[in-house]
Amino acid sequence: MSAVDLARLQFALTTSFHFLFVLLTLGLVTLLVIMQTRFTITGAPVHERMTRFWGRIYVINYALGIVTGIVMEFQFGLNWSGLAIYAGDVFGAPLALETLIAFFLESTFLGLWIFGWGKLNRWVHLALLYLTALTAYASAFWIMAANGFLQHPVGYRVEGNVLRLDDFSALLTNPTFNSALMHVIFASITVGGVFLTGVSAYHFIKRTPEVDFFRRSLRMGVITTALATPSLIGAGFAQFPIIAKFQPGKSEATPWIGAPLGFMILIGMTLTMVSWLTLPLLIKDAVIRMRFPLYLMVIGIPLPFLAAIFGWMFREVGRQPWLIYGLLRTEDAVSHVDASQILLSLIVFTSLFVLLACVDWALIARAVRRGPDVTPAPVSPLVVTL
Amino acid sequence: MEMLWLVVLGTLVVGYFALAGFDYGTGLLLPFRGRDETLRRMTPFFLGNEVWLVAAIGVLFAAFPRLEGELLSGAHSTFTLVLAGLVLFMAAVQLRLWSWLVFTGALMVSVGWGLFLAHLLHAPVVVALVMPALFALHGWVFQTRRWTLFPVTALLCALPIPLAFSSIDVAGLMAHTDTLGLLAWVAIPIIPLVVVLQWSIVAISSR
Repeated sequence: MSAVDLARLQFALTTSFHFLFVLLTLGLVTLLVIMQTRFTITGAPVHERMTRFWGRIYVINYALGIVTGIVMEFQFGLNWSGLAIYAGDVFGAPLALETLIAFFLESTFLGLWIFGWGKLNRWVHLALLYLTALTAYASAFWIMAANGFLQHPVGYRVEGNVLRLDDFSALLTNPTFNSALMHVIFASITVGGVFLTGVSAYHFIKRTPEVDFFRRSLRMGVITTALATPSLIGAGFAQFPIIAKFQPGKSEATPWIGAPLGFMILIGMTLTMVSWLTLPLLIKDAVIRMRFPLYLMVIGIPLPFLAAIFGWMFREVGRQPWLIYGLLRTEDAVSHVDASQILLSLIVFTSLFVLLACVDWALIARAVRRGPDVTPAPVSPLVVTL
Repeated sequence: MEMLWLVVLGTLVVGYFALAGFDYGTGLLLPFRGRDETLRRMTPFFLGNEVWLVAAIGVLFAAFPRLEGELLSGAHSTFTLVLAGLVLFMAAVQLRLWSWLVFTGALMVSVGWGLFLAHLLHAPVVVALVMPALFALHGWVFQTRRWTLFPVTALLCALPIPLAFSSIDVAGLMAHTDTLGLLAWVAIPIIPLVVVLQWSIVAISSR
């Protein structure tokens, strides 16, 4: 394989793994905001225990996800120096705003939230979670703005052989950015909903004594999924006219490009249908007493993750052979590095990321099996995970 | 405007090495000290220290796009080592995995930065050992709470790489003033804000 093929493969693999963490982080933080708000207003212990239990899973996932994010950030400079040289002035702006506004601030707010547990006024503590969630969404906002520019470059002028930033607001009103951002946000909320549902179902299969706790979590998961999926599908289909206008060749980029798109749509439709069918079964906990749907809920946990990866495959492979659509070819953006060096980093990062994903899965599974605390314990994996 | 961005980048890079330096030092000293107590002392600082690197690379990309690509891809395997070390070190510290993994991760990161220093200075590979030695010293000062020495070892860790940078002429490598002006509105308030918030984390967790 050539350097450009290896660099593309590395980017595809590391981005996919990174995105698995991101989806769960965004989905869970949204639901945590609801849980902690209810606790702060009502003071009911069950809401506090829910915030703790789901918060611990969220923090484990964040702690490992941040590591994959650092590698992603370096990868642009390591393997795709042509992108920075040609378009760094424009593409770099949203990316730097993401690292400063979102990443830098988000992890700091989250740190305050973790270490401030039980030590701060509970409204201040709640405000920190809101700020964490807000900066997490800001992260998605700026990354999608940067990606939108690659799909349909706007707001630039050509000066010599580089691009210069001409109109920053054009980057933020880019049609390939707005609809895709909504699609990604509803995808992560769906991931959160399906995850809550599946984990709660697992506890009912195991005949948990925490009936009230997981009953509330399961209802929250099902309702979240039912509310998020129609918007998810709407924002998805809203992208087809935009693609037809700006990237007419997208669905012919490779012969197999229709497959991931088809699977994604199939999963999205299934989740919508199943979650709406489950809604009436929430009455008198019929769905829990029937038991067999619980198994389906557990099996369903990976589905929205898979759909999201398929969606990215369609969006990114469909842009080829362009890195910046119509302006910069992928093969011209790759760094002048020996293929063997890229192969080395490909092997190192892919194996580390696979390992991280397995560790993440194992630690979350353990936190799930352990169930909610009977006595209060610190929320951070920095203290309690092992 | 050029000066401003050199100062911003300098602050972030110096902040990263001065803070994360004692993390890596702590990792390097871990086999020789009590594990739980040593890691516990570092815990409230840890996440805050490492994110300075994220901010520094973000600014490098946006404000010095033509430097960033050359710099990173020019030392490709060195950064592969630094990043692989970072992945192992951060995961091992946060999850309290085995001490030897924390140590190995810290060693890979420090040797990696040492190799990068040698690369910048066109110096022999032996120079790479400077960074692990400085980090270990800084970690020791932090762990034994010799706060009067702390600023000295912090500077010793922070300065070699930015100083080696100063030989690079950045004119022509920077982004256009339009991009720089836009980013300045964000970068300048955020850095002091993060410093204050990170300081609060430490203050709260020591209560």
